[in-house]
Amino acid sequence: MAIANTLVPARDTRALLIKWIVGLLVPIAVFTFLWSGEAIINQSLLTILGLGGVSDIAVLIQITLFIVVFYATVIALAGYLVAADSGQRGMIELWIDIVFYVLLPLFLVISQGLIIGLALSAVLLLVYFFIRRRVYKALRITTAPPLQNLKVLDAEQQVGLKKRAIMGSFWFSVVLALVWLIADFIFYFSGQLPTTLLIWAVIRTLLLPVVGYFLGRLAGTIALRRTLAAKSNGNGENATDGAGKRIRRRQLEKLSTTRLQEEAKDLVPNDLPQRSSGATRFYLILLVAFVLFYPVIDPFLFGFGTNGRLAGYGDAGYYVILALGLNIVVGFAGLLDLGYVAFFAIGAYTWGIIGSTQLTNVLNSAPWDPHLLSALFWPMVIVAALVAALFGVLLGIPTLRLRGDYLAIVTLGFGEIVPIVFLELDQYTNGTNGIVGVHSPSFFGVNWSVVTPTPYYYLILALIAFTIFVNIRLRDSRLGRAWIAIREDEIAAASSGVNLVSTKLFAFATGAFFSGIAGAFHTAKLGLVSPDSFSFTDSIIFLAMVVIGGIGSIPGVIVGAILVYALNVFLPQQLAASATDPTSVFYSIQNGIVHFIPAFTFGNIRNLIFGILLVVIMIFRPEGLIPSARRRRELRAVDEEGVAVGALDVVPGAPGFEEEVRVE
Amino acid sequence: MTLFFQVLVVGLTTGAIYALIALGYTMVYGIIELINFAHGDIFMIGTFICISIFGLFGITNSSAAPTGLTLVGVLVITLLASMVLCAVLGIVIERVAYRPLRNAPRLAPLISAIGVSLILEDVGKLWKGITIVPFPQIFPQRFFYIGSVEFSSVDILVIVVAAVMMVALQWMVTRTRTGRAMRAVAQDREAAALMGVNVNRIISITFFIGAALAGAAALIWGLKYGNTNFTLGFTLGLFAFTAAVLGGIGNLVGAMLGGVLIGVIEALASLICDTTQKGCLIGLPHGGSAWHEAVIFVILILILVFRPSGLLGQQTPEKV
Repeated sequence: MAIANTLVPARDTRALLIKWIVGLLVPIAVFTFLWSGEAIINQSLLTILGLGGVSDIAVLIQITLFIVVFYATVIALAGYLVAADSGQRGMIELWIDIVFYVLLPLFLVISQGLIIGLALSAVLLLVYFFIRRRVYKALRITTAPPLQNLKVLDAEQQVGLKKRAIMGSFWFSVVLALVWLIADFIFYFSGQLPTTLLIWAVIRTLLLPVVGYFLGRLAGTIALRRTLAAKSNGNGENATDGAGKRIRRRQLEKLSTTRLQEEAKDLVPNDLPQRSSGATRFYLILLVAFVLFYPVIDPFLFGFGTNGRLAGYGDAGYYVILALGLNIVVGFAGLLDLGYVAFFAIGAYTWGIIGSTQLTNVLNSAPWDPHLLSALFWPMVIVAALVAALFGVLLGIPTLRLRGDYLAIVTLGFGEIVPIVFLELDQYTNGTNGIVGVHSPSFFGVNWSVVTPTPYYYLILALIAFTIFVNIRLRDSRLGRAWIAIREDEIAAASSGVNLVSTKLFAFATGAFFSGIAGAFHTAKLGLVSPDSFSFTDSIIFLAMVVIGGIGSIPGVIVGAILVYALNVFLPQQLAASATDPTSVFYSIQNGIVHFIPAFTFGNIRNLIFGILLVVIMIFRPEGLIPSARRRRELRAVDEEGVAVGALDVVPGAPGFEEEVRVE
Repeated sequence: MTLFFQVLVVGLTTGAIYALIALGYTMVYGIIELINFAHGDIFMIGTFICISIFGLFGITNSSAAPTGLTLVGVLVITLLASMVLCAVLGIVIERVAYRPLRNAPRLAPLISAIGVSLILEDVGKLWKGITIVPFPQIFPQRFFYIGSVEFSSVDILVIVVAAVMMVALQWMVTRTRTGRAMRAVAQDREAAALMGVNVNRIISITFFIGAALAGAAALIWGLKYGNTNFTLGFTLGLFAFTAAVLGGIGNLVGAMLGGVLIGVIEALASLICDTTQKGCLIGLPHGGSAWHEAVIFVILILILVFRPSGLLGQQTPEKV
């Protein structure tokens, strides 16, 4: 089949194009025209043209960067998805998926505000999963047969694939440009668009298809590199003789069916070949851009109250760090820890005591220079983490011989003892009053204040990035493999030469280390330490984050932490706030229930809601929201037939082997 | 020395209640290896049920306590009602929150149990409010002395009720057909099922009995201490669970022993003197009562270091 050198889609590509362009265009249009995309762009354009708009130049740069990254990524994503589409999921299925993954959340967030919107869409998503699973089962829908990309692509096919990517991005931008143009004319004639901006409308309409063409080429290259090439190379080199090749082929086909079934359950609407790291990369770029520029675009998205929201996200951020740290102990090493809050408290008090006048009071010496104290925060984060890690080892030593729930109860006891010690040693810790007046950190001589949350937002982002990086590297390291070996079978691990003592102690220490970081951040952000924030309930909530997200899975744990924080802290706050507003529907609901139960307020049923959600999530997804691939395979191992679960795609010694056996 | 024995009496009474609750933890753990975090909260709901049943009899804090046979009747009816209602609650929880997770990964039922515990806590909060709820003191207080050690009629009631319950449970588990089935399921669920034991029914019965014991503990706790609160289940549950582990989890006699031990340790801890006061050289700041939890857990950790399976727990050889 010769490949025509035009941008007109062939018949078989047309359906694909429609599928993805509609799928991606609808959410983008909702974001741009119903929500704030248009407003953000216009603001920055007006500033550039000198007609007012944003006053702060730094904010302007950030906004512009965000727009460029956001739209460019979406256009490239369109090309990539068209190229890498394997036909695994039909058009209608995909659109329904996009409605539930993107559109409904968007609408709910616009209409209900961020937190309630996200929480509602999470609930809807769960219901959707449940119904979809039932429907699939009832209709006996099975996933598609193995993909063609298991065989080596010849040069012509590769060119064809790239072509498809270019077409995807190009036509996506064309349609987007047209839609935008029509919308702008409507805005113009209804008087909502300044005349000067029409120039922009024209430039944009001309520019977008060109940009689309080049982004499509980029996406095509990524699709080839990331999606297909690695796989086919490994395959081509391994199979030398005919019979071996056939067996190998059959194995691969079986394995890929298993994989497909696994992937069909994925959260990401991936109509992608087995290795979808390319699309994940695009989604990641989108997410990172959004998170990085969030403080600037927040006012456009949600109006007033940016500071309050940012402060809230700072809290959610240290939950993420705590969950990732606990995941090392519970998820990787399989040691059930019910007293994780102890290390958090140790980290928090370490910076609390040093960073305030507490230490110098105790020592009866003159208070230190406040500037020095503020600058001291940075080394003290590490010190706090190390102190916590030291206590992790101290806890680890007596528990080495214990197994399972005996270990759990000892950690629980430790988690109870530590807060009591902090509470009762009041000459050092100020007892029930806690330590107030902890100095804010300073950065290059600039002092942060507790009332401006933006620096803390970026600080926690940096800390989270660090934590994720270390977590991934640890998981893939020799130590990480040793942890997982211990989790799976302690005796087998020991007889394979894993040093149980040091491996377990390292797990406790590393987990505690991150908890210490989170603790120091918590104190710095609040400017105080209170002994009330470290109870057994907190330990349990941290554990719930790990289990709900998917034990041992790094993305899962992050999602779990954010979800639990939203459900346990944000949602009750928002509900209680809207219940005081007489126009809100929650106000009348509250009044209705108070007739029957006098003690009822939304603040009072915080645990009730959280508890019900915990039970429901566990019943419908006992393996967590995003289980790690390894665990998924283990769970499926029972009802899988024909394929040995542990079978490798690549024989030992082959070039792809290292990558294949990497622990997930 | 009098002080010591006095404290011992306090410890024994509290410990008997802990032991009753601990039995529920240990039975459930023994049979499905689940730390039933909701168990303490069932106990808390039990205390509220008792108050409500007293209310049905017209007994409130201000009313005069009944006497003679009426008192016995009221107490027996309340005890039975509390036990039955708690047991039903226990079965419902097992059916709704744990049974669907029978074959799920190990931590899933644990989180589910935590969820149920949170739900029950808020139900308690909505039912009786967040303040401390007084419990009608209808059992006549009389004091007895052995030497100079004082103990009250309520103490005797507590110990007698607890002892009767424990003996009955021990008899049931070791001597009856159901008890044998329970032990079989605890040892090997699949093998028991192959021998014709209805595993789901046995698990339900276990929850029924455990929760009923918590219901009984609820009444005697109320009569002894005269107040309750929606967080009570959490605190007592923690101690009771600790007691179960201390004795060797899954072991009934161990749970009883552990409960009494924890009660006694808690009472003895209050004897530790306060270093912020004058004349106290060896002790803890603010005295032992402030530290009693810490003392309990330190002792627990020490015991587990030397006996990793608890006091009476069996050292099971690891299967390879």
